[in-house]
Amino acid sequence: MKAPGEEEDGRLDTLLSNTLARERRLWRTPALKSGCIQGSDISPTQYHEVIVWLRDTSGTFQFSSETFALGVCVLNSLLAAVKTQMKYLKCMAITSLILAAKVNEEDEVIASVKDLLEQSRCKFSTAEILRMERVILNKLHWDLYIATPMDFIHIYHGLLMSRVPGLVRAGSQNRPVLQASLWTRQAQHCMACHQLWQFKGSILALAIITLELETLAPDWFSVFTDLLRRAQISSTELICCKETVDECLTALQRSSPSNTVYILDSSSVLAFRRRERGGHDDTDGFWCLYDERPSMKTGRRDGLQDMMSSCPPLLHEP
Amino acid sequence: MGHSESLPSYQQFHQGPAEEADSMQNLRHAASEAFQRLGLKQRHLGYEELGELDGVEKPQPHWFHTLQVRRLRVQRGRSNSDPMGGKSFQQEFQWKTGLQFGNATSYLNLEKLGEGTYATVYKGISRINGHLVALKVIHMKTEEGIPFTAIREASLLKGLKHANIVLLHDIIHTRESLTFVFEYMQTDLAQYMIQHPGGLHSYNTRLFMFQLLRGLSYIHSRRILHRDLKPQNLLISYLGELKLADFGLARSKSIPCQTYSAEVVTLWYRPPDVLMGSTDYSTALDIWGAGCIFIEMLQGSPAFPGVADVFEQLLKIWTVLGVPTEESWPGVSDLPNYKPEWFLPCKPRQFRDVWKRLAQLPYKTEDLAQQMLMMIPKDRISAQDALLHPYFNTLPPPLMHLRDTVSIFKVPGVRLEAEARDIFSPGRRMKSPLAPLAKCW
Repeated sequence: MKAPGEEEDGRLDTLLSNTLARERRLWRTPALKSGCIQGSDISPTQYHEVIVWLRDTSGTFQFSSETFALGVCVLNSLLAAVKTQMKYLKCMAITSLILAAKVNEEDEVIASVKDLLEQSRCKFSTAEILRMERVILNKLHWDLYIATPMDFIHIYHGLLMSRVPGLVRAGSQNRPVLQASLWTRQAQHCMACHQLWQFKGSILALAIITLELETLAPDWFSVFTDLLRRAQISSTELICCKETVDECLTALQRSSPSNTVYILDSSSVLAFRRRERGGHDDTDGFWCLYDERPSMKTGRRDGLQDMMSSCPPLLHEP
Repeated sequence: MGHSESLPSYQQFHQGPAEEADSMQNLRHAASEAFQRLGLKQRHLGYEELGELDGVEKPQPHWFHTLQVRRLRVQRGRSNSDPMGGKSFQQEFQWKTGLQFGNATSYLNLEKLGEGTYATVYKGISRINGHLVALKVIHMKTEEGIPFTAIREASLLKGLKHANIVLLHDIIHTRESLTFVFEYMQTDLAQYMIQHPGGLHSYNTRLFMFQLLRGLSYIHSRRILHRDLKPQNLLISYLGELKLADFGLARSKSIPCQTYSAEVVTLWYRPPDVLMGSTDYSTALDIWGAGCIFIEMLQGSPAFPGVADVFEQLLKIWTVLGVPTEESWPGVSDLPNYKPEWFLPCKPRQFRDVWKRLAQLPYKTEDLAQQMLMMIPKDRISAQDALLHPYFNTLPPPLMHLRDTVSIFKVPGVRLEAEARDIFSPGRRMKSPLAPLAKCW
């Protein structure tokens, strides 16, 4: 008989591989071509504004963050599949959100299309939304159940909790360190950044989590490599994503001083600190740490070895 | 709100074997007639063409016209309308040239099978390959677009490929109507139990339970809950294959946001925690329903047949499991509808004393039922673990290692036993309970 934790772990592993398969099957993203979304006149900035508006609208409708995320994934798949123009983007966006709500939300939560349009102060008619609904379902072949970054945040969170229970109580105030809700908010922000389009939800979610892990848990590296392996993500791609997420979130932090995204716990000895924000030495050994080919950056090897020797033993359950 | 109360059945059950043969002959006749009529039209408009024509007939807002499909750089996985995933199915089996998936004229309506609030189901035949199909015609509410039940059902089923999940063949979507084309299944568990009253053969019950749990294990491992399990939603083929159907209420999450809709028709298969207003349900919700169905198959009557309201439904459950207390179920007093003062205290009873059939069967049968019908949701066995329960030990071992899409009836020696009673032929035992149907097509 397996231990309960192990069983849970196995269940989450299955869920992760199923969700990754779903992502491989359905995830699509628009490409940028000469400063616009390919096949349209939509600039990244305009896209960003519409997604931010969509997030606020989703909040007004009291939809969950999963619904918002699914709405964005539907919109991205659509943008990858059709030619369009800026003037239709908002209609495409709100219809994607309504479709996501029909998939995700309890029916009591979904107001009528007419009410939703009023609340969002959109100028579209119901008929326009319904026509768009038909177009989207047709173009996406009714295959709307796309894996979102939120799905992965929940799975990674569960895996961390079951594999590294010690992480739950890290930190001097014994506060829960791994806050899925915080990551969810960060993911919502990142989904609006066009620089992060090219990254799948599985990568984006892991990048967000790693950013917090490495500041809070001294043993984050072993935990991280474990997640990386399970999620079948290449380290190069993750580093690239993580750097971009860091930039996006830093910009967010600057714009909202009350944001509590990064709380550094002074009591935890960080064997390896992430780079100083805005500093020149962007990688600070980070690259070397992930790189499986140390010969490329021999100058960094000492730092890596120091880091390795100061790493606490793996926290894996026996 | 458009709730799918289940579509009564996929099979009209008032036919005996003789009438069955007659009606099949009529049906063939009708089909060939209809083919002749329709066969004259060589080429019918596909859905894509209709979409564009619509734009010509009725001027639409300017934005519509520019939404053209770009030539896809990436090969899309599966088409909306092609169950074979783009393989050369059509070329191999085509009956008529020019017929396509996604096109209403590719199917013939044969007879109405049932009606629900959310859809009407017809038996039909595919002109593309001659297969029988079930055509689920969705009732459209014009102001709200496509009902959420339809969107949920289609988008979930698109990603579910399993021998114990009903197969969605095709979607026919025009401006006025929406039809889902499913594989045709001869009957459902509710009808099967009516046809064979007094409890099913214990071996058949085991085969049905195994398939039900196999389907549940598959969807639960994808974080999908069915949420509306009942015998009417379990379709059965002539071989005895059981498939989960009617995913209109299913959801892709285990974290609910709001209350479970109070509108769903029957409360019989609902667990006590949900009846008491818990919204914190998860996969254990479906396990309770499956446990109720397990008892019903053995016993021949529903496990907890309440009349209509939640109070009476809870009473039925308490008389078997006992009224829960904060000691026996920590946290129960926090549930919105926990009103112990409404009920006389009663003690838990042995399942075998309540449902007599259990007393005649090996203990492991009762044990599995008990593990599925635990009062506290988190104590209920998971579908995955239930498949490993000793109750299933007597089944051939290869059943445990089948690929998702392989039916258990592919394993040599696995077949339905003749049921003891059949209301259509009370005097004799049939070779196979569904044998007459097997010959038809």
